[in-house]
Amino acid sequence: MGRRITVDPVTRIEGHLKIEVEIENGKIKDAWSSGTMARGFEALLTGRDPRDASFVTSRFCGVCFSVHTMASAAALDEAFGAQVPDGGRILRNLIMGSEYLYDHILHFYQLTALDYLDIMAIADYNGMDKELLAVKDKIVGLVKRGDTYPLTPRYEPDAFSVNDPEIVTMAVKHYLDALKIQVTARNMGAIFGGRAPHFQSIVVGGVTQYPDAEQIGRFKSMLDEVSAFIKNVYMQDVLLFGKGPLLPLAQAGIGGGHLNYLSYGSFPEDSAGENLFFKGGVIKNGNLGTVVPFDQAKVTESVKHAWYKEKDPVHPYEGEQIFDLDKKDAYSFVKAPRYEGMPMEVGPLARMLIMKEPNLMGLVTDYGVKPGAVARHAARMLETVMLVDQMQVWLGQLIEEAGKPGFRIQDTANYEPPESGEGVGFYEAPRGALGHWIKIKDKKIENYQAVVPSTWNASPRDEKGVRGQYEESLIGVPVPDPENPINIVRVIRSFDPCLACAVHVIHPRTNEILKFRIE
Amino acid sequence: MLTSFRSINRRDFLKFCAGTATLLGLSEAAVPRVAKALEEAAKKPPVIWLEGQDCAGCSISFTNTSNPGTAEIILDTISLRYHEALMAASGHQAEKALQDSIKEGGYVLVVEGSIPEADDRYCKIADVPFVQTVKEAAANAAAVIAIGACATYGGIPRGTPSKGMGISAAMDKGLVPKKPLINVPTCPVHPEHFVGTVVYYLLYKKPPPMDAHLRPLLFYDKLIHDNCERRGHFENGEFLADWNDFKQRNFCLYLKGCKGPFTHSDCPKRRWNDGLNWCIGCGAGCQGCSEPAFYTGMSPLYQKTKDIAGYRIETVGAVMAGAVAVGLAGHFIGQAMTGRLGKGGPTEKGGES
Repeated sequence: MGRRITVDPVTRIEGHLKIEVEIENGKIKDAWSSGTMARGFEALLTGRDPRDASFVTSRFCGVCFSVHTMASAAALDEAFGAQVPDGGRILRNLIMGSEYLYDHILHFYQLTALDYLDIMAIADYNGMDKELLAVKDKIVGLVKRGDTYPLTPRYEPDAFSVNDPEIVTMAVKHYLDALKIQVTARNMGAIFGGRAPHFQSIVVGGVTQYPDAEQIGRFKSMLDEVSAFIKNVYMQDVLLFGKGPLLPLAQAGIGGGHLNYLSYGSFPEDSAGENLFFKGGVIKNGNLGTVVPFDQAKVTESVKHAWYKEKDPVHPYEGEQIFDLDKKDAYSFVKAPRYEGMPMEVGPLARMLIMKEPNLMGLVTDYGVKPGAVARHAARMLETVMLVDQMQVWLGQLIEEAGKPGFRIQDTANYEPPESGEGVGFYEAPRGALGHWIKIKDKKIENYQAVVPSTWNASPRDEKGVRGQYEESLIGVPVPDPENPINIVRVIRSFDPCLACAVHVIHPRTNEILKFRIE
Repeated sequence: MLTSFRSINRRDFLKFCAGTATLLGLSEAAVPRVAKALEEAAKKPPVIWLEGQDCAGCSISFTNTSNPGTAEIILDTISLRYHEALMAASGHQAEKALQDSIKEGGYVLVVEGSIPEADDRYCKIADVPFVQTVKEAAANAAAVIAIGACATYGGIPRGTPSKGMGISAAMDKGLVPKKPLINVPTCPVHPEHFVGTVVYYLLYKKPPPMDAHLRPLLFYDKLIHDNCERRGHFENGEFLADWNDFKQRNFCLYLKGCKGPFTHSDCPKRRWNDGLNWCIGCGAGCQGCSEPAFYTGMSPLYQKTKDIAGYRIETVGAVMAGAVAVGLAGHFIGQAMTGRLGKGGPTEKGGES
């Protein structure tokens, strides 16, 4: 029996996550991932005006708010029989694109970079760069003052930590720059989205913001600014770290896990939604050459180890949401979704592998990089670059569309709730595959459910005892010093966890009132 | 002195103070006073930021603050002892930082997210129920600032099976010790409302003047409707019916469900995201997120809330047009309607007061 250690809370993520591992001979032998907060949004939505859903579900998550609104609106579009006009579709893509840009930049710099930097190396910076000296003064000033919160306490730097004073000082400067540029990216979304976080302008059938020339011009200049940062700073930093100090971690495939990948696809390029910019698909058992189409009928969810009433694995649509906080063997509010019975990884690495992104494939063939924590950072950066270029294309399309007579942004004819209907909205969140389902009866919500990215990634064991992807990705990860388990958080943060939305999930199909046993 | 107090240069520091003064509605003349107050602080005031049943939207919104900027605040102005989304520490180290700071006392406690009233186990961090952590942290706090709809009045989680409650309610029930409390609502919190409140507290060592719901009057004393850029269209009876019609794009959104007539906030003046846009500006309408009634009391969001002053709102235009012919009478009707709009409206339990 190895030594058990717990990291709770795992910080610098969205939501509340606990990771427990068993260490033997300096390596992780077993792992458990627990979501430790639940709210229960779906019951709240039952019986309400269906149009409220796209507003309320944005609050599933204050980090990837836009994609919940989008998936919800897409489910409403189908249920209402609404046709989103090209103008509305392009505006939605631009709004959601801005979310990706801010989210990925924030994730790399604010949420994970500190795990790879020996920040105190800054004190040894002896260069002459004025901007870097200003950063040095700032950090040294904090140390002298004896108050380095929130940069400390921290896990101690290890063999994989970057301690070259110039690189570290530059990285911290980029941390501070990124804090500003992620605001620019998010504000850009507010131009067409109304405000952020929690965009307001996405409704069933399209968007509410009629764009004018001034807004388009402002969006363009902000997009250019963010694009320059992504290509000149973010891309360079990831390549510098990935091909440099972190290459051994990358080549060892630390944090790889099950090597099953799933993407629903995202960003419709036509009004039928058939041509998607991010392609959907499935990769099984690390067989990177073979991508098969995704079939939603093959999704099931197990609640064996989650705090819900015991039930055999079923398709999400047959699922129910009766909390059982006293359940034996349960250790998470997150359910365990499976595809053909297999746990899947979702997110940028899954998307870029499924699309066989050439630069990522180049890292695999030329540098021997294996899927794992470092590859996740590379994939996230590569899709950011891909997307920021495509947003320029969409903006061009918007300018063209807006000049046409009869330019439309919303389907007014299908805005009132139907007597009955059902719809599903699939979207790719920055952190992975997201689905919303709605059923409408008597013009009200009869049933609402969501299966979110972190449910896939953060799931506990299923009924067969098979670990979720976070858990599996920790197996074999070196933890030479149990007092300083820095590799655990490196691996977990590489997924960009977002736990709040993983635990609001599904409400009972039967309209049964949620029950909980209280001691 | 200055260099030992903060690690930014004098020019940046004065810019910071000017931004702070602007946030608080103070004149340029107040900048030296702000600077003096901040410089005289012996050490950076400690802040503990707890997240309960939240979505981290308020944390993300906080990073939207640009003048003063986020980095200036978290590195130079306050000593941020605990913040799950931003701090370097994890696990035991994070919890130790929290416990040490609680022992030290005298900090400002910021709470984001609600407390589950139905069962403590709906929200546990480091195996401790969230309500317990808030109780311990509030006990030694100098003041508590609740941010966002969830932590102030329960927000969206209040309507869920876990029954999220705000800090006010938890204090009223005796679950959390009573301390000076400031509510800074909206969903998410407006970064300038929050930073302005923090800075006010740091400058004056007391909560700003507040309304009955403990909202700073500085930001929440006016109805959105009274200052709305679309108010003229309301008075003219011009209501948006089709988002695709260029001519209607700035019309009043009341028929689309706008809750501006029942919602207190300076959003029309301040707007969001560095003034780029706001909820009414983008044609969606206000959803009443600064009010205790939000969300259940504001639902359905996309339907007209009620008729006003005995007039079917759809016919206000015709009434007003007729009234213009008789001069003052038209103005009188307008005033009467305005008065009525300020009273009554959605309540926490739904329906109207």
